[in-house]
Amino acid sequence: MELRRVEESVFRVLMILSLLIVVGSLLAVIGTILWKGLPVLSIDMITKTAEGGYFLGKGGGILNAIVGSLYLAAGGTVLAFFLSIGIAFYLQKEYSGGTKLSNLTRLSLDILWGTPSIVYGAFGFTVMMYFHMRASLLGGIIILAFLELPIMTRAMEEVLKTVPRELKEVSYSLGATRLETTLRVVSKQALPGLMTGVLIAFGRGIGDAASILFTAGYTDRIPTSLFDATASLPLAIFFQLGTPSPQVQQKAYASAVILLVIVLAISITTRFLSRKYTKYIIK
Amino acid sequence: MSETHIQIDNVNAYYSGHPALKNISVKIPKKQITAIIGPSGCGKSTLLKCMNRLIDLTDGITYSGKILIDNEDIFDRKTDIINIRKKMGLLAQKPTPLPMSIYENIAYGPRIHGIKKKADLDTIVEKYLTLVGLWEEVKDRLNSPASQLSVGQQQRLCLARGLAVEPEIILCDEPTSALDPISSQHIEQQLLKLKNEYTIVIVTHNIHQAMRLADYVIHLYLGEMVEHGPADEVFENPKDERTRAYINGTFLADVKIDKVIDTKGNQCPYNFVYAKQALHSLEKGQTLKMIVDDPTAVTEVPRGMEADGHVVLSVKQKNITDWEIVIKKKG
Repeated sequence: MELRRVEESVFRVLMILSLLIVVGSLLAVIGTILWKGLPVLSIDMITKTAEGGYFLGKGGGILNAIVGSLYLAAGGTVLAFFLSIGIAFYLQKEYSGGTKLSNLTRLSLDILWGTPSIVYGAFGFTVMMYFHMRASLLGGIIILAFLELPIMTRAMEEVLKTVPRELKEVSYSLGATRLETTLRVVSKQALPGLMTGVLIAFGRGIGDAASILFTAGYTDRIPTSLFDATASLPLAIFFQLGTPSPQVQQKAYASAVILLVIVLAISITTRFLSRKYTKYIIK
Repeated sequence: MSETHIQIDNVNAYYSGHPALKNISVKIPKKQITAIIGPSGCGKSTLLKCMNRLIDLTDGITYSGKILIDNEDIFDRKTDIINIRKKMGLLAQKPTPLPMSIYENIAYGPRIHGIKKKADLDTIVEKYLTLVGLWEEVKDRLNSPASQLSVGQQQRLCLARGLAVEPEIILCDEPTSALDPISSQHIEQQLLKLKNEYTIVIVTHNIHQAMRLADYVIHLYLGEMVEHGPADEVFENPKDERTRAYINGTFLADVKIDKVIDTKGNQCPYNFVYAKQALHSLEKGQTLKMIVDDPTAVTEVPRGMEADGHVVLSVKQKNITDWEIVIKKKG
């Protein structure tokens, strides 16, 4: 009896410990970034593009990277969304019937999920070289879409799976087609989950540096067309930390703060918006 | 007997090779209430779901035979199942409102069938909510989520939603089993009112409900149709021993019990063995009552005993955990 109680406490302590490690690391990361970044953060950082000699400690900001990152991640997420939603719906049993093709799709997605983003970058670079394309916003968007696709699709698929079968049965019994059921009932019930899927993918997209290093390039200007090269926040941080000038190195932390704020802001907005639609959901 | 509405012809169904319906042939009369009765796991719901082919959504199902509705074979792959389903309203076991407002729940069906004008939809919504006696209760909050209604109200909403596509047939799958007595009564009254206009098929394991509602009765037992006929004949003078036992057993067994065993706390193969031993110790034709609390045993023990040639007289839930199985030894 005593031994069982000891076991119980030991495991509880272990669980609390894991929890503390997770929460602790998160706080440590955010804390470090804020502590080092906030003092350097200035209005110039977010309102000005890099000026001449920026990486040598001169003036200017990283507006080019902020805008570039938003373009890249938003473009990539929108593109990935249209592909994912189709795949995720198709993977549902009513459409694919749990066939070999759907299993193969799932396996491919899982492998893609596990593929390091530098591999995506290298692949994208090779393809672009073949077509004699230069690093561009479009290239970055496409490669980010592929990077986000498996995450978004798998997240959406899991959410769609949780839609109760009875709801679909009701819709079919009223004479609805599969498409009507999918669009008017299933997607409504799954909406908050689908939004979360999009959000997770967006987070991955905006934070990734390796895949866009060769495909989107880096520049001091804000891109004006899809074929311009573009800067991005993760690469800005990478280059800032890599300069010899301590002033610029410090600015990397300010950039990290900006990246963090963007991700948080988008996450909170989405949640707020999705709450508007969740009140009809059947629990 | 009145005109036939649904003709079921030689229907067989298998769940991954396991027979669920065996050679069912029966004619369901128009504008009457037909009750499908029988113990749990006997294929009642399967038969019902065959009628609107919702059975297609079930994994590993195969079926054969014919079901003719207005001379159209709904098992025929060429038949347009979407239009067939429109002819049939479904009232499920658990009230299942769609993830929309009360108004949209009713308007959903008419809308997908092409009614777009707001004024027309308003009329339909009011008409069917009034028909099920829900209008007065919800008319001021038509735009609030349907999930906020009480369970009883939700079930009436579901009935109204089914009626709004103007079906000819209403299929009910144990429609009151999740409801409190008053809400159940409400639904039953609605069904009695509706039978003047609609053909109603109701699956129920509540024999009292079948008696209150049914004009025609089908008794399924382990996938087999053991008896069918007009309700008064079946209830007053059942021809099949199993039907008699089912009807009696549900009231008060006037069957004499010769032995009682309690196998609570035992898993499936064991209560199976205990049942066999107990039956072995009995004379031919004597009756054994056993109490089980293992959910698998509830379906598997009767199946097994049946396979040995004994007659399972009743399977009945006593309380939340316990079930009572009454078996008559062969002979």
